[in-house]
Amino acid sequence: MSAVHPAGTAHGRGIRSAVRLAARLSVVALTLLSAATLAACSSEASGTEDGPDVLRVLAGSEVKDLEPMLQRSGVKVKISYTGTLDGAEQVASGGADGAYDAIWFSSNRYLSLIDGASARLSTETKVMASPVLLGLKTAKARELGWESGAVSWEQIATAAREGRFTFGMTNPASSNSGFSALVGVAAALSDAGEALSTQQVSAVTPKLKEFFSAQRLTAGSSGWLADAYTREGGVDGIVNYESVLLGLKGLTVIYPSDGVVTADYPLTLLASAKPDKKDLYGKLTSWLRTPAAQKEIMTTTHRRPIVPEVRPGPEFGSAPLLELPFPNRRAAADALITAYLDEVRVPARALFVLDTSGSMQGERIDALRRALVTLTGADTSASGTFSRFRNRENVVLIPFNDSAGQPKPFVLPERDPEPVLAQIKSYAERLQASGGTAIYDGLRAAYREAATGGDGHYTSVVLMTDGENTDGSSYEDFEAFRQTLPEAQQKVRTFVVLFGESDVDEMQKIATLTRGAVFDARTGSLAAAFKEIRGYQ
Amino acid sequence: MKRSIGIVLALLLGAVVVVAVVLGNGGDDGPATVRGVIGSEKKPFFDDPRVRAAFEKHGLRVEVDTAGSRQIATEVKLDDYAFAFPSSLPAAEKIKRDRKVAQTFSPFYSPMAIATFKPIVDILTKAGLVRDSGQGYQVFDMEKYLDMVAKGTRWDRLPGNTTYPARKRVLMTTTDVRTSNSAAMYLAMAGYVANGDDVVTTTAQIPKVAGAVAPIFLDQGYSQSSSEAPFTDYLVMGSGKTPMVMIYEAQYLSHVFAGDGSIRPDMRLLYPAPTVLSKHTLVPFTPQASEVGRLLTEDPELRSLAAQHGFRTADPKAFADLVAKHRAPVARDLVDVVEPPTYENLEGLIANIEHLYESGSVPQTEGGS
Repeated sequence: MSAVHPAGTAHGRGIRSAVRLAARLSVVALTLLSAATLAACSSEASGTEDGPDVLRVLAGSEVKDLEPMLQRSGVKVKISYTGTLDGAEQVASGGADGAYDAIWFSSNRYLSLIDGASARLSTETKVMASPVLLGLKTAKARELGWESGAVSWEQIATAAREGRFTFGMTNPASSNSGFSALVGVAAALSDAGEALSTQQVSAVTPKLKEFFSAQRLTAGSSGWLADAYTREGGVDGIVNYESVLLGLKGLTVIYPSDGVVTADYPLTLLASAKPDKKDLYGKLTSWLRTPAAQKEIMTTTHRRPIVPEVRPGPEFGSAPLLELPFPNRRAAADALITAYLDEVRVPARALFVLDTSGSMQGERIDALRRALVTLTGADTSASGTFSRFRNRENVVLIPFNDSAGQPKPFVLPERDPEPVLAQIKSYAERLQASGGTAIYDGLRAAYREAATGGDGHYTSVVLMTDGENTDGSSYEDFEAFRQTLPEAQQKVRTFVVLFGESDVDEMQKIATLTRGAVFDARTGSLAAAFKEIRGYQ
Repeated sequence: MKRSIGIVLALLLGAVVVVAVVLGNGGDDGPATVRGVIGSEKKPFFDDPRVRAAFEKHGLRVEVDTAGSRQIATEVKLDDYAFAFPSSLPAAEKIKRDRKVAQTFSPFYSPMAIATFKPIVDILTKAGLVRDSGQGYQVFDMEKYLDMVAKGTRWDRLPGNTTYPARKRVLMTTTDVRTSNSAAMYLAMAGYVANGDDVVTTTAQIPKVAGAVAPIFLDQGYSQSSSEAPFTDYLVMGSGKTPMVMIYEAQYLSHVFAGDGSIRPDMRLLYPAPTVLSKHTLVPFTPQASEVGRLLTEDPELRSLAAQHGFRTADPKAFADLVAKHRAPVARDLVDVVEPPTYENLEGLIANIEHLYESGSVPQTEGGS
């Protein structure tokens, strides 16, 4: 499991796990299992809480808000969170077998398109439902004449093309809400009436460009997107689950009359789960579908109930929700994501501030080289392919040690990116480690660089360092320098990667100051952290 | 089970003698657990506390996992289970042969049916797809439906349709034909029509028939793998997601008979013409599982419970009484019933359609016919 999480999602279950471990070991002793089994269990349990009475679930961060409620289910549940696409690949490849008993993402649709995935899944139990919708500030919705609700995606796309509103949405390659919205918009704008094929994706791409020209904010997860919107505003609205939108103040939720894509949160047993775990799964899903639990889910999380006995409350409105067809071939789904990344979205301008000080020598500089090479196409998995540097993107690598090095720009063309990807790879492979650590000189260089070029791009900075600042300017100097920048440059976010002996407090301060986020690669791999950050760029 | 032996032993020692006698399996730790893999539409039946209690009277605790019937016949590791209970005879025959099982049980059956809504029925009646049988139920014309799918007709283009102006195509929601039996049964009836009103009986007929009926599956887009899922969507999300869905009659009737309020006044049940009967068939791998099959077939209480769950059993009166009591719009005697193809021919049709999914090509260009 990747130990990479954006700041604020740290897991604090050390004590609980110790208590459970003790309880579990006593159960093991009671049941007189063989000595060999006992030994295997205790070594396995040293890091995680596990045992025959614990249901281990691999889940998307979208269901995190239900975790407290599960404690009352009577079933011990241990949830590990991962990205939608990463999770899907893990399950399809068999990597989840044995490590988990069940999975819980907002949808199994993309997963089901991967070869071999369906054989790894057993019983599926839908737990709740939430369509992916557009939420607009009420004043803006009124200005556009949309407060009554009867608006089509076509009308929304026209207003977007005319620059009449801006919005934020998650990256469809990282997050299910963004992917669902992309599928919905593409299906509605294609006017096809049946599931999108690869050819229809090409045909609808120009219309998608118009719609997404209004996108000004992106994110790797729907939760972070909602937080960023709440904190900063900055855009007129966001695309997110209805449940998230209903939880935000001052938003009018638009229910497109030509259809939506709805998440149904199937808690799904893995075929590899042992009989004990299957019983736990049965208990948990039965409990989740009791009217009481369904009502609680509805009132506390704004998700629609999934059992007919519990009717949706008035907050969901009375607009009939037409469900748009979802692609049934992986090629079509992948073509849609690829079109979004390479042609449709506002292209990224990614500035990487990279620590090449002496402490990075050896394994660490190797890890950094590998992490960058991963983004040049070396990782051929779906998540790797989608997180690599994309067509039209600008990449600037800024190594630093005693001082900031010369920023090295790479411009990816509209097609055939391979030669430029090869240049980035070769540059990354030649990075050497020596000297001091002038973090803020590096960061200042990035923000100065951000001023030049980058028109029509979505600019962000990644800061990766393995230690404390030893040379050049200080955090305070950087803070003062940043205030002198034009507003557009001040808005550039810095995504900080913790690595080695990073100064956690100061790194957090940088992320907070620039409204970025912190990613922890101290226990996981640097490449995984870089891949995750790609969702935010 | 093993882990709880220590605790359960002390508590239940006195109470389990009967079980041991009945089953003769030497187990003395409460009801013997028999785990089966079943089609998802039967899960509510096996989860019913009354059904569980009825089995426990005979010293059995039946636990089930769900999977598509085709998955049960091909992909599921059956060694983990004491029985398989797919939803059709062809899948059961295959398992019976593969596992060299002597005796199978077909305790109940259901005709395939369509769950839909009154406004949709009105639109389809105007379009000539739905007509009254004169026997108290309405039928859905498969041949006219296949014509409509071939033309790519959209809901908003149907004449006189003001109540469901959706821009999407007129397509029956089904499960994934590559995994699930209810879709395979639907394929059987559509294939019958496409084969000139005849059961597909030769491999030579397969490519043409598969090519002709493939769009009713492929054009839907993503379809779910188990029969309970789209029916849940129908009940919960209504016509926006699922204007009409292919189901087992029992799925609908179980809610009507239970009077649980989930079948609302605007919901309707139609019978496709022709339809096929889905014969739920239990294939046992252990003596205990045979006992489960025998009880389902013979035990009066379990038979009565099966009828309450909407299944038709060897005791037609139980079913007829429930229909009368709830005034359910049920076809007592379906005339237009066809046999599904043999396992091999049905599998051949599915494999052809599966190939169309994989190749990504549209069926019309693929078959060349």
